[in-house]
Amino acid sequence: MRNVGIIGVGYTPVFVSKRKDVSIPEMISEAVDAAFDNTGLTPQDIDAITFGNMHTFEGVNMPHLWGAEHIRSLGKPVMRIATGGTTGMSAFQAGYYHVASGLHDVVMIVTYEKHSEGDAQVGLMGIITPEVMAMLASGIDVTGGKGMGAIGGGSAGGISYQAMSYLNHAGAGIEHIDGIAAMERRNAAKNPYAHLKDPNATAETIAKTPLVSYPIRFGHICPTTDGATVCIIASEEKAKELADKVAWVWAVSNCASDATTGNLIEGLITDPAEQMPCIIAARQAYERAGIKDPKTEFDVIEIYNGFAHQTLMFLEKLGVCEVGEAHKLLEAGELERDGRFPTNASGGVVSTNAIGTSALNRVTECALQIMGKADKRQVPDAKIALSSGFGGCWWSDLLMYGEKKPM
Amino acid sequence: MDINVAVAGFNMTPCSSDLVTTRERMTFELSSGLFDDLGITRDDVGTYIIATNDFLDGRTISNVFLDAPVGAYMKDESKVEMDGLNALMYACMRIMTGQYETALVLAFGLTGYQVSPYLHIDYIMDPTYDRQVKLLNELSAAALQARCYLDKFGYSEELLDEIAAKDLSNAALDPYQLRQLSDISKEKVKGSDYLYEPLRELHCYPPTDGGIVVLLASGEKAKELTDKPVWIKGMGQSIDPYYIGDRDLSVSPSTTQAAKRAYDMAGITDPKGQVDVAEISSLFACQEPLLAEALGLLDQGRAADVYASGDTAIDGKLPINPSGGPLGAHPICATGLLRMAEAVRQLRGEAEKNQVAKAETAVVHGQDGVCAQQNVVVVLGT
Amino acid sequence: MEVSYMTPVVPMDFTYNYRVGKYVQRYLDAFKDKKILGVRCPGCGKVFVPPHMFCGACNKKLDDFVELSQEGTLENFTVGHIIIEKGQVSAAESPYILGMIKLDGADSLLLAKVEGVSPGEVETGIRVKAAWKDKVEGDFLDLDHFEPA
Repeated sequence: MRNVGIIGVGYTPVFVSKRKDVSIPEMISEAVDAAFDNTGLTPQDIDAITFGNMHTFEGVNMPHLWGAEHIRSLGKPVMRIATGGTTGMSAFQAGYYHVASGLHDVVMIVTYEKHSEGDAQVGLMGIITPEVMAMLASGIDVTGGKGMGAIGGGSAGGISYQAMSYLNHAGAGIEHIDGIAAMERRNAAKNPYAHLKDPNATAETIAKTPLVSYPIRFGHICPTTDGATVCIIASEEKAKELADKVAWVWAVSNCASDATTGNLIEGLITDPAEQMPCIIAARQAYERAGIKDPKTEFDVIEIYNGFAHQTLMFLEKLGVCEVGEAHKLLEAGELERDGRFPTNASGGVVSTNAIGTSALNRVTECALQIMGKADKRQVPDAKIALSSGFGGCWWSDLLMYGEKKPM
Repeated sequence: MDINVAVAGFNMTPCSSDLVTTRERMTFELSSGLFDDLGITRDDVGTYIIATNDFLDGRTISNVFLDAPVGAYMKDESKVEMDGLNALMYACMRIMTGQYETALVLAFGLTGYQVSPYLHIDYIMDPTYDRQVKLLNELSAAALQARCYLDKFGYSEELLDEIAAKDLSNAALDPYQLRQLSDISKEKVKGSDYLYEPLRELHCYPPTDGGIVVLLASGEKAKELTDKPVWIKGMGQSIDPYYIGDRDLSVSPSTTQAAKRAYDMAGITDPKGQVDVAEISSLFACQEPLLAEALGLLDQGRAADVYASGDTAIDGKLPINPSGGPLGAHPICATGLLRMAEAVRQLRGEAEKNQVAKAETAVVHGQDGVCAQQNVVVVLGT
Repeated sequence: MEVSYMTPVVPMDFTYNYRVGKYVQRYLDAFKDKKILGVRCPGCGKVFVPPHMFCGACNKKLDDFVELSQEGTLENFTVGHIIIEKGQVSAAESPYILGMIKLDGADSLLLAKVEGVSPGEVETGIRVKAAWKDKVEGDFLDLDHFEPA
């Protein structure tokens, strides 16, 4: 299996609530331009493209077709990946396999979302609306256990079960969720590509935001953002030729749970904070990458957190710290950029969520850290990074990268 | 390039206008059926790639409901939201890295009864222009492509009748096809109603429910699982402009580009001479010769002669769509993989009434988008 | 015992509000003056209509807007006997013509309704000209159809 390195990143100039000035493909083209500008590459250098977004948010089927010219893809292979919240990382993984298989040398991963053009709940409701409506039309009671599981799966409702369970296991409190949300919004203030930036955020200011469903406050929830992210990867030979700094991919892994079991059974009978897919994916990734001790080996961590408590929860599930330890690390300042476990220096998904990009942004932010190109949000001496994705219904992707090539 | 990946087995539904099933049940029956055939369990499958379309499934991330029935629960799964032949390419890539020995690909479309197949293209179209002007839909676009192709060499509309009659007769011999019109003739095709001229109803694919699972395996593993592995010799994919007014609809450059990549990998320098049989995802009668030309299997300007001479028939010099192709059934997302399955049946000598005489090398094609904007080509060999 | 299955109908209707972006907006703005704009590629010199941001072949960004003639040649057409609304096919009231027109000055073809000639008599190669709505507002449907010139 060939080594694959990340050689470039491109973002739309801003990630904001509403890009009124551009159509969808025009917005995506900005990130493609940025990737070319940042790397000095041209469309001729790209062998293949993978493309991902969560399309119910815009109501456009296979948008890579409409945007074919805008992503400079004519005459090239384009593969569309669509896996919900993890799309960004799934699209990256597809790109990774394009190169690692030996079939292509330089691959561009293109992701985006333009939430402002859809109803805010459209994409999420789309998961469960047909099921719920079919149940209603058939006279099935949706107020009972099964119904609640179905309804809960797609929105803040179900996540509150997860957060509550996490707090119980970890011995943490809602104030810790306030604290991690605040930390990430402060981090976002140093990231020109973040959406919700608040250099003055504190646990107290977050605690003043309205309660949605205990223990989830409005301030804990990710925004909906318009933006696009592009990442360029290459084989070892091409990376050496084309880039001065490379973030080498050490391992990718993925583990899928299932919506029905995940929502209806796992969510109610077992524990939505158990996150078995994350544990399995992590184990697999560490084995592939030769990571012996996740507690000591990572310099930078980017966690997919649509909801703030997930940062703490996944740090534990990924084995970066013990269960019950994450909130203590938070209190001790160890999750900050200058702490022992710099987490979400970018601000995380809770600060920026153009959902098709959200999982890829975890990858690109880690890559920028390793390449030393993370500007004001740079973590000093970043040599090994870990990024996680989460979405659909309890499924995880993982990637790891290092400054050195894998063995 | 030595890909060293083979099709170890597949399981497909006989297509229907209404399978009276749920997505989950169909998925479970397909995958458990294949596991039984091969004597394996889900533990033997390394990774899964699903190809369905959320708009047609009527729900976001449709695949999360399919993980359990396909056997991917707690395993590595991803989703390619395109024609299933692309998912096959991705699954093949995963095996080529050596990380996995086996990969299961699932694709289906319940576009017969449950949802209109024309919505697929409707939602693909540019919402800021094409969907506002409201002139373009899948059928009007296909008709414009048909006339452009016919006019180019001065073919008459009867060529479409001839092609459709050939395909539909073949389909009537294939138990997996939806359209079973055993008494079809050119006259009967011509007697079907115009939709958008020159396309008549029987020149176009039927709304279809259908699905398929395919198990790919690395070389050694494939030989363990079956004594008739069919090898993937080459793969390629490419894309044309979106804007229909910018395209010459009588040709398919992206098919030619995809084919070149696949042929180069497979060591094919003379497609007409080296390819024994072709299964092409031609959704409309005019697309069959157009795509065959793009694949290098037919010389431009010769379609009328070639079809009239019987060269493309099951017993012809270069059989095209011996199964009947998508005019027989088109479950959106599964169609390219159905073509592949039909080619596998040919290469294994298991195509029964549709069997062509010599079947050692097959070319398989899948498409996506308006008038086949995007195309994928796979070369298979024994 | 015969089993019959329920078939609950689920109408999925989401409303989206799209931004047309710079190119379509400019095209529509020109409609207010009953003008048709194309855009020329600095690489290959081709003129595209309606205008869009990139020339796919050259991968160059387009910003050279040009006014096109109101007249052109009918290069391709189809006669529609059906309409498709939300995926459902139904018979059209009467056959109608959709044409692909090469406006003088453009390289790409513009799709538009063709009226003023019967479906039985229309043929490729005829000259056609733009027919606008009486009141134009910069809307997609301002350019109503083309008719024989």
